Amino acid sequence: MKLSLLMGAALAALVAGSAGAQELKFPPGEDSRFNWKSYEDFKAAHADLKGQSLTLFGPWRGEDETLFNSVLAYFNAATGVDGRYSSSENYEQQIVIDTQAGSPPNIAILPQPGLLADLAAKGFLTPLGEETATWVKENYGAGESWIGYGTYKGKEGADAFYAFPFKADVKSLVWYVPENFEEAGYEVPKTMEDLIKLSDQIVEDGGVPWCIGLGSGGATGWPATDWVEDMMLRTQTPETYDKWVKNEIPFNDPAVVGAIEEFGKFAKNEKYVSGGVAAVASTDFRDSPKGLFDIPPKCYLHHQASFISSFFPPDKKLGEDADFFYMPTYASKPDLGTPVLGAGTLVSITKDSPAAKAFIEFLKTPIAHEVWMAQAAFLTPYKGANPAAYANEPLKKQGEILMSATTFRFDASDLMPGKIGAGAFWTGMIDYVGGKDAQTVSTDIQNAWEGLK
Amino acid sequence: MNAAASLRRIGLPRLIVHFAVLVICVIWLIPTLGILMTSFREPAQITSSGWWTAFTSAARTSAARLADPSTARQEGANFVISGSVFGEGQGGTVRAFGTRVQEPAAYPAGQPADLGDGETLTINEDGSYTYMKAGPFDGERGRRVYLQVATPPSFTTENYDTVLTSQGIGQAFVNSLTVAIPSTIIPILIAAFAAYALSWMEFPGRALLIAMVVGLIVVPLQMSLIPLLRMYNEIGGLLGVPSRSYAGIWLAHSAFGMPLAIYLLRNYIAGLPKEIIESARVDGASDFEIFLKIILPLSFPALASFAIFQFLWTWNDLLVAMVFLGTGRDQLVLTGALNALLGSQGGKWEILTASAFITIVVPLLVFFLLQRYLVRGLLAGSVKGG
Repeated sequence: MKLSLLMGAALAALVAGSAGAQELKFPPGEDSRFNWKSYEDFKAAHADLKGQSLTLFGPWRGEDETLFNSVLAYFNAATGVDGRYSSSENYEQQIVIDTQAGSPPNIAILPQPGLLADLAAKGFLTPLGEETATWVKENYGAGESWIGYGTYKGKEGADAFYAFPFKADVKSLVWYVPENFEEAGYEVPKTMEDLIKLSDQIVEDGGVPWCIGLGSGGATGWPATDWVEDMMLRTQTPETYDKWVKNEIPFNDPAVVGAIEEFGKFAKNEKYVSGGVAAVASTDFRDSPKGLFDIPPKCYLHHQASFISSFFPPDKKLGEDADFFYMPTYASKPDLGTPVLGAGTLVSITKDSPAAKAFIEFLKTPIAHEVWMAQAAFLTPYKGANPAAYANEPLKKQGEILMSATTFRFDASDLMPGKIGAGAFWTGMIDYVGGKDAQTVSTDIQNAWEGLK
Repeated sequence: MNAAASLRRIGLPRLIVHFAVLVICVIWLIPTLGILMTSFREPAQITSSGWWTAFTSAARTSAARLADPSTARQEGANFVISGSVFGEGQGGTVRAFGTRVQEPAAYPAGQPADLGDGETLTINEDGSYTYMKAGPFDGERGRRVYLQVATPPSFTTENYDTVLTSQGIGQAFVNSLTVAIPSTIIPILIAAFAAYALSWMEFPGRALLIAMVVGLIVVPLQMSLIPLLRMYNEIGGLLGVPSRSYAGIWLAHSAFGMPLAIYLLRNYIAGLPKEIIESARVDGASDFEIFLKIILPLSFPALASFAIFQFLWTWNDLLVAMVFLGTGRDQLVLTGALNALLGSQGGKWEILTASAFITIVVPLLVFFLLQRYLVRGLLAGSVKGG
């Protein structure tokens, strides 16, 4: 009796919450910002897939999931394929379990090239072919770098292009509140020297320049790796960066220790950080930027990737109440150009099927990028996508930073082996902020890396 | 009776004990209370102040924007912008205001503040303001001002609304029940049989078997996920069963719960009075009859307590469901669906706390329905007279 009551309540809830079929966000043919020709061409070329099913698995949940589903809806509408996307909080572990147990999705979308390389080495990924690699090289900004991040050794040890880059993030950004700057008379710094001068100026005026928060549950420490990587690109050549990622120079090389110390100049300066150095490791990265908007402000500057704007208080308008500038480079090192640290998600085929191949083809159409661009935080290095489709000015500005980069480098911690990039590096940074010196910390990380070989 | 007399009657030691119990209960409940309070607050409140401040009418510092210069009207030589600093639905009492973020409370409310440059600004307690200048205003956006506002405590049910009306939550609820109910019943059925056999039937290797079962309790679930799923996929492939199905998760949950179930039930059943079982044997009852008519009714408290354990574990489980049932929208259990609400980066406390209280309802219901079986001593009087 009681059980049936429960079931009744559950069924009522089911009826109330049932989902309708997904509609196309922008009706085809209407808005001239979109490349509808590419949609129609794709539709015409893939008419033979009707009724097939396609499972996709990726990192996006919540609002991001809705956004990706709006893109997927165009693929489904064009081909008649029943494409279903799903995700999981622990998607990194989940994909390993699924592939190893023999029930993988058709398409796996992952932000870690290191993890994809692992999967490729075990023979779980299907190569995308030379043609796709050439396409990326010709059509993506810094295409050569992107190919590198999607090329891994397969089971037989031969290099092949396995992962198609889709959606990029720019990490080299410093966020600030323009009106706070105006009132205090501060200027957006153009060089790293100016940034340090500005920080000193703020301290002199009785303020605190930086909000730095490294807390992130089990991943505590990762925001510091972005700092160190940005500093690495601003003090060393891209070639040294690549060697660092592959451990061809040790982690405790003076170049790396130097970059960590550059980070320390900010994070370990009691006067520079909101709440003092002790608060750095314990403040959650999601709460950290809120200090910018406090009255009086807890801090004036915050270094974080493009995604952080979704953690700003909801009434803050991007571009007016909050803005960002490119993390500047040292005027004393002009030969390093304008390096951009970024990340991105890569699409790979974990279970081959005609529909899966068609999905990769779909990602080569401008429309696949423009639909997401027009809605929210989505950056693409694809030159064929119309920049006018970006939803707002700040996004367009980030897109420009991405396209105008002389060097694009992928987040090093995502490229390193998981035990380092998602382990020793994180904990090392917490130790560093906690009081250990850079040399000791980097030697510890190097020892952990040696242990993997 | 006066207070002193009743105090004497209770006695000091007992009073201390009662007091200590009360204090411990309160301490124990504080985290739950915190979660409950947080679930009724707005996201902005949650990040700006602690839940214990929710009931106080706090003076908060906030920013507001005056109307933009295009709304200015001319009064003699002066240009005036007026209006209210509060938007619709907002309210409070302005205590003080300021025009620089470093000094957000520089001027008291109700008095004209001289901002220099021929500008004066007055913000009254009710939020209305007059901004005057001895010449035309320039710029496009309205001026930003800072306010110290005393706001009455406010609560919202919006978080619960968000969670309960989110897409697919009803389906997830049904999925959770579909997973949890059979996953509770199957292991109990099997384990009760096994526990009887292991405690009252004589056969060679019985001790070894018990030792093995106890040993299996320590095998971590996370370690056996991949081999188990692979095995299931291979066998399922032969029989034509799809790789992700309810049968799979029922089997998995049953298997993971079985060692503990057998161990718990065996200990209980072995402790039942020998006399009852022996007299039943003498009367000619078969093992199956003894199990059905004597053991099962007598071990109801143990069965119920294990059922609660197992139900809570399967209801709260996320990992096994994700692996064996899948992550698709229509396969998600409640924990998975709520988790998906948190978004790619997490950190939404208001959603987290509200969903905690929503998921808690079913386990509480189960607990209260079954708990009387836990406290009732079924055994009392059952061996009267030997």
